[in-house]
Amino acid sequence: MKQPTFRRPVSTTIAVLGSTCLLLAACSGGDGDTAGDAGDGPVDLRMVMWSANEGHHEIFEQIADAYIDQHPDLVSSVTFEPITGSSYVSALTTQIAGGQAPDLAWVSEGYAAQFVQSGVFADLTPTFSEAEGYDLDDLLPDAVELWSVDGDLYGYPFSNSPFGIFVNLDLLAAAGQPVPRDLVAGGEWTWDRVMEIAAATAQSQGVAGFQPAADPYTMWNDALGAMWMSWGAQPWSEDGAECTFDSPEMVEFFDWFHTQIFTNGAVPGPGEEHDFASGQVAVRMGQLSASTGLGDAFQWDFLPLPAGPEGTVPVVGQGGVGVVARGDNPDVAADFLAYFTNPENSALLAQFFPPPRESLLTVEALTAAAPALSPEQLQGTVIDQALEARTKAGNPAMSELTDAVRMDLDGLWVADGDAETVLGQVCEDIAPILSGS
Amino acid sequence: MRSETLPAAPETRPRPAPSPSAARARRRGLLTKVVLYGLLVVMSVPFLYPTLWMLFSAFKPVDEIFAVPPSLLPRDWTLDGVSKIFTVTPFARQYLNSLYIAVVVTIGSIIVCSIAGYAFARIRFPFAGKLFLVLMSGMMIPGEVTIIPIFRWVADLGWMDTHLPLIIIPIFGPASIVGVFIFRQFFLSLPQELEEAGRLDGLGRLGIFLRIAFPLSGPAIAAVAIMKFLASFNMYFEPLIFLRSEELFTVGLALTRYQDSYGEPLHNTQIGATALTVVPILLVFLFAQRQFVEGLSRTGLKG
Amino acid sequence: MVADVAQVAGRVSGGAPPRRASGARRAARLDALVGLAFVSPVVIGVIVLGLVPFGFVIWYAMHEWTPLIGQFDWVGLDNFSRLAADDAVRSSFVTTFQFAALLMVLNISLAMALALLLNQRLRGITTFRTFFFSPMVVSAVAWVVVWNYLVASNGGINGFLSVLGIDGPNWLRDPSWALVTLVVIQVFKGVGMNMILFLAALQGVPAELKESARIDGASPRRIFRSITLPLIAPTILLVTMITMIGAMDVFVPIQIMTQGGPGDSTMVISYLLYRTAFEQQDFGYASAIGVLLFVVVLGLAALQWSTRNRWVHDEV
Repeated sequence: MKQPTFRRPVSTTIAVLGSTCLLLAACSGGDGDTAGDAGDGPVDLRMVMWSANEGHHEIFEQIADAYIDQHPDLVSSVTFEPITGSSYVSALTTQIAGGQAPDLAWVSEGYAAQFVQSGVFADLTPTFSEAEGYDLDDLLPDAVELWSVDGDLYGYPFSNSPFGIFVNLDLLAAAGQPVPRDLVAGGEWTWDRVMEIAAATAQSQGVAGFQPAADPYTMWNDALGAMWMSWGAQPWSEDGAECTFDSPEMVEFFDWFHTQIFTNGAVPGPGEEHDFASGQVAVRMGQLSASTGLGDAFQWDFLPLPAGPEGTVPVVGQGGVGVVARGDNPDVAADFLAYFTNPENSALLAQFFPPPRESLLTVEALTAAAPALSPEQLQGTVIDQALEARTKAGNPAMSELTDAVRMDLDGLWVADGDAETVLGQVCEDIAPILSGS
Repeated sequence: MRSETLPAAPETRPRPAPSPSAARARRRGLLTKVVLYGLLVVMSVPFLYPTLWMLFSAFKPVDEIFAVPPSLLPRDWTLDGVSKIFTVTPFARQYLNSLYIAVVVTIGSIIVCSIAGYAFARIRFPFAGKLFLVLMSGMMIPGEVTIIPIFRWVADLGWMDTHLPLIIIPIFGPASIVGVFIFRQFFLSLPQELEEAGRLDGLGRLGIFLRIAFPLSGPAIAAVAIMKFLASFNMYFEPLIFLRSEELFTVGLALTRYQDSYGEPLHNTQIGATALTVVPILLVFLFAQRQFVEGLSRTGLKG
Repeated sequence: MVADVAQVAGRVSGGAPPRRASGARRAARLDALVGLAFVSPVVIGVIVLGLVPFGFVIWYAMHEWTPLIGQFDWVGLDNFSRLAADDAVRSSFVTTFQFAALLMVLNISLAMALALLLNQRLRGITTFRTFFFSPMVVSAVAWVVVWNYLVASNGGINGFLSVLGIDGPNWLRDPSWALVTLVVIQVFKGVGMNMILFLAALQGVPAELKESARIDGASPRRIFRSITLPLIAPTILLVTMITMIGAMDVFVPIQIMTQGGPGDSTMVISYLLYRTAFEQQDFGYASAIGVLLFVVVLGLAALQWSTRNRWVHDEV
């Protein structure tokens, strides 16, 4: 049929919509549900975690079962729910926003400040200080700093796993490269040397040279946050309010890393996919726990971090657990967490997660964690590092920063990218986010 | 909508009576044919290669997935990746979830859309025009905009981490409007005399719909069923924000979560699982492709 | 669809034509009830799941809302003034238009080309039709996951190009290629549907019309432009609309392949909205972006309708 005009339907559409909106303006959208401890009777607790490792789950469940045996009136079950995939934090926050807050959540150090300072996590100090035999003073002050506000603890960093360097010895040997352990012994274990080896191996074996702990082009903090510390660089000031991406140290680090990618070919370029476990990478940065995933398809070694311009700066990756304030049972959850992390259970957890307790950072306690390492190596690369090590930077506005910085850094990941310009831009763009926090 | 069918494959249909144009086609030089076939073959590559690559790469060891030069067929066939599909995540369960949700959504949509389409096409009732406008305006609101309040309501109703929102929203929400249009268009083209005959036989409005109109609406049912089934099976955004338990995941969501217990991606397992989500539907499509394609093209998808 | 509205509206406002007098009145009343009952599920559904939520979005847009900690405070029009000054939002609208425009041009021209090819009488032509349509039944996530491997800088496509001696670009990591790559991947996925619709329309063009034009000495190109094209114009309009709505909605490939990068070169509005709400937990601001998006979509739809009379001559 012939239909001469379109105006009437569209304007009517708008009218219909408009009146609907007016109708609704009267309705309020306040936030209804508030969490409170559900009356009496035992409750079911739920903890979300990043790891899906069977060993981790086994030990967690063992501790939970013991707790339930002791407190059948408080808790009837504890579920440990892994969230896999790259979107851990957004999946977790979506759960909380959707009224599906877990009782406990495991977050990494980068997001500690965000969860602690925004009030997502509840204060643990009252419960922990009253828990029998808990010994709060045994916790390493450096380790809990990120998880505290004004001396009160909001998250427990149960895992302090040092970063180190995995090497594929077969590939290095085939490329005629020196044995890394000899370099460590000879004091020649530097980042430059590591990259030389990586580049030479990449060239002669047709594999990837050096792979950071994560994809540096999409997850800059996970990938590079532990590296730039050897340059004495920090992304922002101690209080998290001022950008220091444009500091000379940081510029030097990114300049160096850029050269390793685009000039020396030591680091695979953006968009490439390689797999260390299947023998396609010569050198990979990682944490202790990744060693258990490596089979015997090739000879490998795990070494401490190399030295940069600032010397060797040991870095640990932290994982912490907190009680979600908006969960259904914050008090019960806190009580369980006090049990979960008391000295006895921390010793159990130590087989996977170097604990933040001075009394447990002993060779005996940690032998179980890494049976492949000798007592000297444990003392030297794990314990001493854990005691001295620094954690990667975090920020209360981490979710926003992650994207903002990534988008600017993309400008650097091209052959003619200039670190100084790009990092200047980063600071310009994140300054409002940092100061707003 | 005109009701000419697509040409059936020549080998399954008697040759059409010779017409000037058919004669011309026969006279067309061999060269033209070769060029046309060449073009068709070349054009097929980007449509077929990804699916084939996926099927074969599921059986490659990880290092071959990134091998240069790439090869379509695995050099070393391995079940390494495929064997982990069902152990890393409860994939069978997730598959069932996707299937049953898609089936419920499809059936629900056919009911809801067919009755509404029929009413708009055949029944005189008050406010028909205004209500049709309501549907029109609903269609203009982008789904990603309204998801925020819906997310909130789903939370308040306690429907988070259930399949309810994944079923109810596609059946009743704005996504159903196209289905209403398809049915309405179809029923408009149905001869009025059929209904008159039914009325003379003493059928009421409901009877006419159930006994006469609906049974005749095969192509519209097929089109709506295909669209809704695929849309539901393809769903990604809604499961992403509404589901948290692995056992409740749909396959689309599950595919993005394949990694080993250390957070390293499981490339060949992911590809294997991807192939598994594709193959059954692809097979159904291959067997039923004529009905499938013709169902889509014969219904009233017109302005 | 405007035609549909007018048709229905016209029929109703024009009053019911006189039916067989008195006894029919009861049937008419019953009909009215049945009609309302039949349309009510979808009408109520669309109101409750479409219009009402949209009203709430406007309401939410006037709040600072962080559900993570249960904050919900009235801020008036603050979010909108923030919106006006936000370069990220502006550039994401530009990116969305680029994406949608490129996708529509490529999709529709390729769909038309394939439909014309398939409209030839050749042995085995349905096999090719099946090939071209097959990505439609591959799930969106699966399709993107596979292409993600193929377009990796050391992936299958560049591997193939390097055999030919071509140094392929870094498809997803090069700001000047990423958006184009996404568009092409989406086009191969969805072009089959448009192709089928075009094919059906082409086959609806009466052969006699073309034949008589040919006898009159018109060239094939002329026949296509003067006969075929005007006859299939309504289908082209419909396909354009559907494709545009789909393009504005794009989410899966962005979320899985680029997360908006490199830089902000693939940051389309739907993904920005998702990120603002569900990753940064800024639901109020996300709502404000949503309101703006709706205004833009409405404007585009109006624009499309306003031009339609110019090129759609025949209304079926």
